Amino acid sequence: MNVQFKKGALELCVLALLDKQDHYGYELANKISKRVAISEGSVYPLLRRLAKEEYFTTYLQESSEGPSRKYYCLTDKGRDYLHQLIHEWVQFTQGVNKLLQEGDHIE
Amino acid sequence: MNKKEFMKKLTVGIKKLPKEEQQEVIQDFEEHFAIGLAEGKTEAEIAAALGTPNQVAKELVATYHLEKADHTSNTGNIFRAVWAVIGLGFFNLVIVLGPFIALVSIIASGWIVGGSFILSPLLMLVNVILYPDTFIFFDLFASIGLVGVGIFIIIGMYYVTRYLSKGFINYLHFNVKLVKGGLKDE
Repeated sequence: MNVQFKKGALELCVLALLDKQDHYGYELANKISKRVAISEGSVYPLLRRLAKEEYFTTYLQESSEGPSRKYYCLTDKGRDYLHQLIHEWVQFTQGVNKLLQEGDHIE
Repeated sequence: MNKKEFMKKLTVGIKKLPKEEQQEVIQDFEEHFAIGLAEGKTEAEIAAALGTPNQVAKELVATYHLEKADHTSNTGNIFRAVWAVIGLGFFNLVIVLGPFIALVSIIASGWIVGGSFILSPLLMLVNVILYPDTFIFFDLFASIGLVGVGIFIIIGMYYVTRYLSKGFINYLHFNVKLVKGGLKDE
């Protein structure tokens, strides 16, 4: 699938996962890459950028195994942004689906 | 690629970021490897899933410079941001560097024209000192008039420069979104 397209969707995936509960970086990368073909490494630059935009805060938490983990927690500003993205996404996909149907590409 | 190789390449790629920023990035990836290993994956598997360290580093550096250019847009910052965006792909060389050079030349020529208008009485003065008999009042008034026009041009250029550099930062953002690709489709 197209590269730029995936980039935009990746942002939406990260925010949507954090809307339900706080996650650490590994978890986010893992959950997303299970469903969508992305390189897990590209999640981290995205996380840094969104954190700088103040869409979420971070905190460290000890874990029973391995090192302490950096958790990401969605802020109100991030939640607003997520809702805006979802709205755009729905509009976009509906439009595309309509076009596909009109062209009889979907049986 | 094992963890050591991955981290080494990543470290080299981000060495131009501030120390603090570098440490955070390294820590993020150390954590990623540690959790993956605890889940029973091998270092090679984890590294392969992460993608190439060079691409990750490029994205981090580009994000950092754009962020900085946003907050304090002085010439050095904008220049470094341009450079970082160019680093994202050779394709960008034409698309970013072309408009950038054009923009800089337009701005520079505006300032030079304004500046030389303001300095025109000096030229007249030199002329009068060298050839005292060629003095005519028309030259004097013309140069005073040019000073006035020059001042207006300089004031105008101040706003044009600010406006254009802001616009160009937006263009860089757009460009990064457009070009900054995923890793698997390369």
